[in-house]
Amino acid sequence: MQMNPLQKQGVGDFRYYVGISSLAQIATRDDRVCVLNILGAESSEVTPVGHAWSGGNVVFGTAPGKGGQALATAAGDIPVYNNVRDGLQAGHRFNCGVVYLPPAAARDGVAELIRVNPQLKKVFIVTEKIAVHDAREIRAMGQQAGVDIFGANGLGVADAWNRVRIGGALGGDAPGDTLRPGSIAIFSNSGGFSTTIAQYLRMSGWGTTTVISSGKDVYIHYAAPEFAFALANDARSKAAVLYCEPGGTYELDARFTKPVVACVVGRWKSRLTRAVGHAGAMAGCEDDARAKERWFMDKFGVDGIFTPDEPRFSARGALVTNIAHIPGALMAVMRANATLPDFEPEGSLVLKPWFASDAGLALPASLALQVVAPAAPYGAQVEQVNRQVGGILPRQAMKDASGASQMDAQTQLGSLYGVSMLQAATLAFESLVKLALLHEVGDENDRRLVATAVAAHVNLHGTPALAAAQAAREAGNAPNAVIAAAVAIIGPRCQQGARDAARLLIDRFAAAGLKDPVDEHFDLGKVEILGCEGLVGAAPDARAQALLAALDARGAKSVLLRWLRALPGHPTANAVLAATTTTLAWTPLMAKRVSRLTAESLPWWMALFGTLIGASAPGTRHHDGHFCGFDDAQLLGRCSLAETAFAALIGLPPVDDDLFVFQTLFGLLLTNGPGAISAQGAKGAVSADGPEAAQRVQLNKALVGFLTHTGYAHGGNGYEGIAFLNEQFRDTRLADPGDPEHGIDLAALAWRTAQRYASYKAERRSIGSTDIAKLPGVNHPVFKDKPVNHDPREVFIAQLFEQRGEHNVFHAFYRALVQALFDAGVSRNVYCVNVDAVIASLLLKMLWKRLRHGEVAERDLETAAFTIFLYPRMLGCAAEIDDHLNRGRNMDTRTPASSCRFVA
Amino acid sequence: MQITGMFHGARLLQFVGFPATEVLGPGASEEEIKSLIDRHGQVFVKPMFKGGIGQKGKAGLLGRASDLRTALAEKERLYFAEHAVGHQRAKANGVTFEAGVPARHEVYFSITDSTRFRAPTMTLTHRGGIDIEEVERRDLAVVPFDPLTGLKAFVVANALSEIGAPREIISPLVQQLPKLWELFHDFGMTTLELNPIRLREDAKGRLLPVACDFKCGFDRDDPRWARLGLPAHLFTADHSDFEQEINQLRTHQGQSDVYVVNDAGTILAPTFGGGANSLVTEMLGDAAIISSDFGGNPPYEKMKEVARICFRHWLKQANVLFIIGGKSNNTDIHETLRAIADALREHVGLHGATPLYVVLGRGGPNLVRGMAALRDTCDQLGLPYRMFGFDSDISQVIAYAKQADAWMKAGGRAQLAAGLGLSETA
Repeated sequence: MQMNPLQKQGVGDFRYYVGISSLAQIATRDDRVCVLNILGAESSEVTPVGHAWSGGNVVFGTAPGKGGQALATAAGDIPVYNNVRDGLQAGHRFNCGVVYLPPAAARDGVAELIRVNPQLKKVFIVTEKIAVHDAREIRAMGQQAGVDIFGANGLGVADAWNRVRIGGALGGDAPGDTLRPGSIAIFSNSGGFSTTIAQYLRMSGWGTTTVISSGKDVYIHYAAPEFAFALANDARSKAAVLYCEPGGTYELDARFTKPVVACVVGRWKSRLTRAVGHAGAMAGCEDDARAKERWFMDKFGVDGIFTPDEPRFSARGALVTNIAHIPGALMAVMRANATLPDFEPEGSLVLKPWFASDAGLALPASLALQVVAPAAPYGAQVEQVNRQVGGILPRQAMKDASGASQMDAQTQLGSLYGVSMLQAATLAFESLVKLALLHEVGDENDRRLVATAVAAHVNLHGTPALAAAQAAREAGNAPNAVIAAAVAIIGPRCQQGARDAARLLIDRFAAAGLKDPVDEHFDLGKVEILGCEGLVGAAPDARAQALLAALDARGAKSVLLRWLRALPGHPTANAVLAATTTTLAWTPLMAKRVSRLTAESLPWWMALFGTLIGASAPGTRHHDGHFCGFDDAQLLGRCSLAETAFAALIGLPPVDDDLFVFQTLFGLLLTNGPGAISAQGAKGAVSADGPEAAQRVQLNKALVGFLTHTGYAHGGNGYEGIAFLNEQFRDTRLADPGDPEHGIDLAALAWRTAQRYASYKAERRSIGSTDIAKLPGVNHPVFKDKPVNHDPREVFIAQLFEQRGEHNVFHAFYRALVQALFDAGVSRNVYCVNVDAVIASLLLKMLWKRLRHGEVAERDLETAAFTIFLYPRMLGCAAEIDDHLNRGRNMDTRTPASSCRFVA
Repeated sequence: MQITGMFHGARLLQFVGFPATEVLGPGASEEEIKSLIDRHGQVFVKPMFKGGIGQKGKAGLLGRASDLRTALAEKERLYFAEHAVGHQRAKANGVTFEAGVPARHEVYFSITDSTRFRAPTMTLTHRGGIDIEEVERRDLAVVPFDPLTGLKAFVVANALSEIGAPREIISPLVQQLPKLWELFHDFGMTTLELNPIRLREDAKGRLLPVACDFKCGFDRDDPRWARLGLPAHLFTADHSDFEQEINQLRTHQGQSDVYVVNDAGTILAPTFGGGANSLVTEMLGDAAIISSDFGGNPPYEKMKEVARICFRHWLKQANVLFIIGGKSNNTDIHETLRAIADALREHVGLHGATPLYVVLGRGGPNLVRGMAALRDTCDQLGLPYRMFGFDSDISQVIAYAKQADAWMKAGGRAQLAAGLGLSETA
């Protein structure tokens, strides 16, 4: 039935126009191409590759409004014009159009190509999701004009003999890798599989002639019947492989005169109740997968599907339903045609994992496949990627965001790397160091390593850092500024040697395959010594020896230290420090939970932590050879960091349960999330240095950022609580706050305090003042709406101490106080005793006796309260600094001007 | 996306002025129904199903009434009728009351895009009212025509005379049928079927074609059907919550086609490429939770959002996360795998660890970088994995994923859970 008298006359006896008579004509070296929307995202990636591979077949492209630009390619620039007519007027000529326009514009693009260029012979439509409405009209336009159309929703065509690709990304970004000249033509409804099939054929010894990606829309403009015709007329092609999906009767009408392997996939689509892909025909035509299988079986004269177990085929062809069976089927069919493969098989498709991990499980042999190095160039890439040590996190804006800490809004509990503050309160300071930087609490051996490494930097006698701190102290600065002065001096150069050593150690031991850093049986011979000369010196290094002695005294173990000591020569102090910190980092580093940079920065961190602790003690306590009553050997080889910090803080050795209290305080104060001002200061300092060049971030300066962002209101406000308690108890005869028989009538004391406060409030109100000072340590913005309120952190600590059988009169006083406030009508319900009260109570308990005996002055209380906040918060902020460094973007903590306000 | 029945059909036909029988919907009052019966003598009572489901007449799901009481009885019988054809099941929600049209002729008419002719094709016969498959060939006209000029009157006339249709129906049909092309082409349809069109005599003895049934299908990719102002709920019935969420991400920048194969499945397989989708869905069968095609080079954010949605719905029950595609031509593998890896890490951060065996089969630009990103995340999360390149046969990779699933089911999952510090029953 002749459709349209306007229709051009083509080749063959089709009901419609077909212009191409042989596959050799589909993509030739004479074809000249114009690409519509050439500067679009997809085309700008794909067109240069095809253009270069084809010897430069794109004469120009269009992009409305971007005329005058060019698309750079390895084969020269392709000029871009606003429209097709402009390109023709500039003198270019083409016979092929490629459409990369979005779906709504594709039809008009085809219209433009046809109307404006009388020499147009072929159009390749890459665009997907074109409306069927437009597809109808595209077809009709092509038919009227006598133009062959390929697609839509296709990846274009490629010809391996001519080395030409037109349209889309057939063959990927290196078509030559897949397309080798041979004797098989490929016609595929699937774009992706057109390349995959060519790959499979090549591996089994078959090359290709022409590869066509037809798309699988409702309208397939160049379909199986035309392909069969062109195949018959192409002398180069001896056979073809078709990949077909359900929908449409295309294959039914195809008449094949050469052997064909047909792969039909999609039986499951018959189960669908709505169309996926093709629209089913309502007028009763069966075109599902099984129907297509039958058509092909008829054409080939076979009674079943070809599988390796049951190879059914004829000289005319074979039907498969699994693309992996295509090569086998082709081999069988071609053998029946007395035809050998084009060349030697290039490889096999046997399962070969490029990356594998059993995650410590006992997998069966069928699953536990070993890694196989892939062929070039992938093998080298895999190797390079395997050499990467440590994890790499994606970068993003980290303003007010943290991967280290979180605050639970309901319980107000902070946590650091999953460890809540209450849990942290039961951990040693050394464990908190490891937690903050290496994301895990670690074990006893880790604590020994940390204690030594940090302690080595505490005694600042004779250093400029100490002089700076002392000068700041004498100028009346608060503890944070005093310490900041010292920390500011510990710049990058100070620890460069140790960090370089760490880098070297990581390289060497990673290459040697070290897994367990304390493995006594690790073969040290595996570690490459070449290039490690800088780790040792000719003469003994006193500091190194002191470190090693301390580590031995503590019984710390480390493969790296063992190796270092076995080297000829004397290890340097830098090398010992680096070996110590790298041992700490090893397990999380190898598990990729921390980055390499973090691991390499550890020596600097240890120096900073030690300096901070040391600088918190006045200059008079630093001596040559001893610090705060401990000699250096004790400091390095025996003291815990809590002991050291205590001594720095108080100037006296700890007694009884001092350390337990100290440790509890540390946990509670470790972090309050990234929103705390101290964290913001630390993060801002990192952001300003630019974490994207992480090597440049000055860790000491970031710690200064933390320090400057603490103050009398944030961090130093523990003093308020202490001052308040001190005032209430000053006139009592309290001797030992830990004695349950303290003899003080707490209820009466609390009542008096409540009364005093009530009258204070009344007085302020009567003079019309709204400025009423709050009682420190009671109430909380979150824990407030019940008849009797509790701060869960206070509850936890109270229970903790009760379990230990320890008593704290100040804490007990607070509990009495909140009841008294209610009884006196000051509060509407019973306030909670908040965590600040706990801190103040703990601290004052620690200091009371010394205060009473005159060993500590009242003015020292404020400094102590402030400093005791700084020690743990230093670790919490170190965690934020390290986190921001690894994950943040430059200047990401900035607030845009539009979010700022001017206030008159 | 299909519509069946005259409740909506009559309204759509109004857009092009094609006569339709009078129709009342499920909310019709008894007065209205009685009036309809009084004016037309007979009404058909038909259950309203969403989407397209056929063979209702044969299943006895067609009510006839010439009085109100029968009409109401039929309404009760058919209002929530259930019907099954092949794999399709449907439950009605409402009935229509359609005026019976006494007629001497019944005509079948449809337009669809024929892949044989590669053009819109009209199918027409004067032996309408029965199944089209049962009409004799010589009585059936199947006529392709040019979409640029449309269905012309002479095409209809020629077709009718070729099949020897009765002369008195030719002129009325020639006048009215071409209008249906406008409805079909301008409002995004891919199929339109009226069976039957009854030719009713008017007072002067002239015949008027009246549509008595209506079936059409719409093209998802054509925004034109939105012009019809059809209620959205008509098309959402066939999507699960999960499918709807993913489909909202549908843009032409990469597919996000997905449907749920088995909501009790154990292999979560985000798939890339239509070809891979076919093969994977076929081979995994009911082990698969979803059938998907996320190919087409989606940008990082979109891929991550898709992955996030998939994980939120399905990760907990999955034994295997199977990321699979052929050798991509233009999808940046690093981008897509990085997005999936990041979504996985974030999901675990929010919801906690889950025992999962990860299998990847892929090829394409930046392949090794992409694999490394996924590997790092799996290492960080403590998950076992195997990653295959394009040089492993894709169907063997699929078989491997199935084996991993089988092992997980046979106790592997419990082992892995223990290793991750989870207390889980297998």
